[in-house]
Amino acid sequence: MEPAKMASPKSAPKDAQVMAQILKDMGITEYEPRVINQMLEFAYRYVTTILEDAKIYSSHAKKASVDADDVRLAIQCRTDQSFTSPPPRDFLLDIARQKNQTPLPLIKPYSGPRLPPDRYCLTAPNYRLKSLQKKVSSSAGRITVPRLSVGAVSSRPSTPTLGTPSAQTVAVSTKVGTPVSLTGQRFTVQIPSSQGAVKAATPTTPTVQNVLINPSLIGPKNILITTNMVSSQAAAGEANPLKRKHDEDDDYDTL
Amino acid sequence: DRQTLVAVLQFLRRSNLRESEEILRREARLLGDDLGSSVGTVASSSPGVAAVAAVPPGKGEVRAGIAGLFSGAGDRPLPAGSLETGRPLWLSQPLGGGVVVEDQPDVSAVLSAYNQQGDPALYEEYYSGLKHFIECSLDCHRAELSQLFYPLFVHMYLELVYNQHESEAKSFFERFHGDQECYYQDDLRVLSSLTKKEHMKGNETMLDFRTSKFVLRISRDSYQLLKRHLQEKQNNQIWNIVQEHLYIDIFDGMPRSKQQIDAMVGSLAGEAKREANKAKVFFGLLKEPEFDVPLDDEDEEGENEEGKPKKKKPKKDSVGSKSKKQDPNAPPQNRIPLPELKDSDKLDKVMNMKEAARRVRLGPECLPSICFYTFLNAYQGLTAVDITDDSSMIVGGFADSTVRVWSVTPKKLRSVKTAADLSLIDKESDDVLERIMDEKTASELKILYGHSGPVYGTSFSPDRNYLLSCSEDGTVRLWSLQTFTCLVGYKGHNYPVWDTQFSPYGYYFVSGGHDRVARLWATDHYQPLRIFAGHLADVTCTRFHPNSNYIATGSADRTIRLWDVLNGNCVRIFTGHKGPIHSLAFSPNGRFLATGATDGRVLLWDIGHGLMVGELKGHTDTIYALRFSRDGEILASGSMDNTVRLWDAVKAFEDLETDDFTTATGHINLPENSQDLLLGTYMTKSTPVVHLHFTRRNLLLAAGAYSSQ
Repeated sequence: MEPAKMASPKSAPKDAQVMAQILKDMGITEYEPRVINQMLEFAYRYVTTILEDAKIYSSHAKKASVDADDVRLAIQCRTDQSFTSPPPRDFLLDIARQKNQTPLPLIKPYSGPRLPPDRYCLTAPNYRLKSLQKKVSSSAGRITVPRLSVGAVSSRPSTPTLGTPSAQTVAVSTKVGTPVSLTGQRFTVQIPSSQGAVKAATPTTPTVQNVLINPSLIGPKNILITTNMVSSQAAAGEANPLKRKHDEDDDYDTL
Repeated sequence: DRQTLVAVLQFLRRSNLRESEEILRREARLLGDDLGSSVGTVASSSPGVAAVAAVPPGKGEVRAGIAGLFSGAGDRPLPAGSLETGRPLWLSQPLGGGVVVEDQPDVSAVLSAYNQQGDPALYEEYYSGLKHFIECSLDCHRAELSQLFYPLFVHMYLELVYNQHESEAKSFFERFHGDQECYYQDDLRVLSSLTKKEHMKGNETMLDFRTSKFVLRISRDSYQLLKRHLQEKQNNQIWNIVQEHLYIDIFDGMPRSKQQIDAMVGSLAGEAKREANKAKVFFGLLKEPEFDVPLDDEDEEGENEEGKPKKKKPKKDSVGSKSKKQDPNAPPQNRIPLPELKDSDKLDKVMNMKEAARRVRLGPECLPSICFYTFLNAYQGLTAVDITDDSSMIVGGFADSTVRVWSVTPKKLRSVKTAADLSLIDKESDDVLERIMDEKTASELKILYGHSGPVYGTSFSPDRNYLLSCSEDGTVRLWSLQTFTCLVGYKGHNYPVWDTQFSPYGYYFVSGGHDRVARLWATDHYQPLRIFAGHLADVTCTRFHPNSNYIATGSADRTIRLWDVLNGNCVRIFTGHKGPIHSLAFSPNGRFLATGATDGRVLLWDIGHGLMVGELKGHTDTIYALRFSRDGEILASGSMDNTVRLWDAVKAFEDLETDDFTTATGHINLPENSQDLLLGTYMTKSTPVVHLHFTRRNLLLAAGAYSSQ
């Protein structure tokens, strides 16, 4: 970091000189020259915000002018909002005591990649493909998108969940109001048949090649798609084939 | 004083505390002129004290004054918290009005003297009086008593600020801040900016400092001297502060010299109480499972526990200790649940052993070669580096929130094939692990995007499947090194996370951040398993002990704490650094800990006894990297002063005086042997050293970003 170049007293405005002096008093000797500008901007923005808030409070209290109490109130409200500080020590000690009382959980053997439940992972695809209503498949598959009610997928790590089958996808939308994380709860699995048309797999017809949707496991909460593929940690592997299909989205109507 | 006694008697009578009054009267008459001890024996009547304490809040100041008088005169040293009066109200009450005193002229006249504790003008006098006393005391006591200056100064200053005597606070500061020790100057600068009560409110560290007790270790003789002085004169103000804010840990023995004291002080809370370092710590290593090492590669043999040989042909080369006896200092195997060894882990261990056989034995005659990895064009953005245990990959965390992984070996980084392609491979082939990799994605560098703030800590998992990164955005992210995508974001700290590390056995990891706690997580739990709270300032560095049962955390409050993973207790507190700690390293045998901080010193600690055993001076700037060699013979330290230094660890740890006296009193006699222990200093070209790593064959790798000035 280059040493601070002090602007000559003639050219630097007084504010900048004051800021440079403050930095010096606090023991900061090395800083880029732009730091002074940034600090001044911050100071200006902070002060105007506080004073505007104070004006609002004072007019709310129907006072003739803004006084110190208004400013104090404004500062206090802003501090709670923007300059949060970490929790106080006794609070931390309290929750630490609570947390540390529970014994360490035992580790299940042979459980593959040890990850939290899928809802807390970032491994699900965060998009779904639109329905392909225009194209009619000659192989007698209805193109309607099956509406499987899907909640969280319980990960069975021994078999990859949603391991995208070779080129088979089932479009699914969520009905259950599960907390939708950024990754969403939608699982798009697309099934091109030999003609390249899209065949939808319904929950009741598990005859799709390489995709076995166990109907008994489909409930309001879970859907388990098992495949017979070997995949070591294919949790995020499905992103790739799905990305290819993404372009075709624009050709179709919205769902 | 006689007047005071009379006033107190009157007060007791007035409050209908007959019994206490009788006792006081009796005791007062028993003794002659020595008024001090007469009042002293009264203190032993705790009901009297408690009764005095039960005064309505309006007389808070009065009560505090009397309480100070009573407790201050006790013959046995009272720890400051023994008085069950809670926090004296005079701290929080505005001093605008005077004391609401009974309309008894005698009492009020005397007790108004106690009102003076609020009188700011007298603070300077008290302080300079104490200063004069200490400077005139005997040499042997002076060093110990000088410890009092700093905490007293800070507390008196804070009191003045809290009670809104701004100008007095300022003049008090001006007059005395130059007298403090040099290593407190940074704190004093921060303190000088705190001029109003409102400033104190948002500052957690200041609040913690005020509410926690500053610990001082003073020998009994010095303590007696101090007490006698503070009770002779009208020095109750200082005595009150001592009672309220200081914890004086008294030991029997020789007073310490200035050098000894200087080595141990510096933290925001003084030193550590001796009993804080008394818990038993299992610093031994866990036993490794034993299995046969095949001579040839193709002879990959099954392994079995307990070293029973299966075949006669392969040479038995047990990994673990030969003796079946449990090391008394090692934790039981199942003290904390650890993941079982997978086949890939066992293969890894076999590789490790083979490499270990070819390891170079280091020593003062045989120094390691150092290979430096310079990150170019990082524009001061390199904030974290880690290298895998087998030295195959290096990761850099950057201020632009990216995490970049490089392959150090000629073998490129590949991600796993897509599920589509995976179904086509032959699962039974021998090289299936090669076939699942997608050749099209082979590259030397992989960039991982996901964080929304500078990445301050990175850590590879021991099995090289996962990578952790922690960032200023408050999350810790787990990345898969098979697919090079992000798997989980662990949210818990809501403030910047400064450091994270995987456990040596995988599965657990620890993170520490700005919220002053360290958290223990497991990869399959979205919430932390343990919270280690106790530091007074940010946790800047977190490391696992080699047996994964303990975690060391270094903090900006200049202490290092050792925590037990099993129950979250703090089992050791090490003070002595004069600046925030930025690097920690456990020795491979688990017995010692080396720490480096912004003060440029490396301190060595014996974990079992809880003592400082060495101090390595030489660096001139913050030490960001510390690493012991694979067998613990050499300690390497890398610092912002662009050097890597090698120290002789074997010599530093031999001949430790750990007899009962040392452990009981915590006295240490550090030999000034930094020069002897220094084996070499290696300069880089204006590249601060951020990370150090010994390969399995004891080659030293170092990493840093070239900064062009």
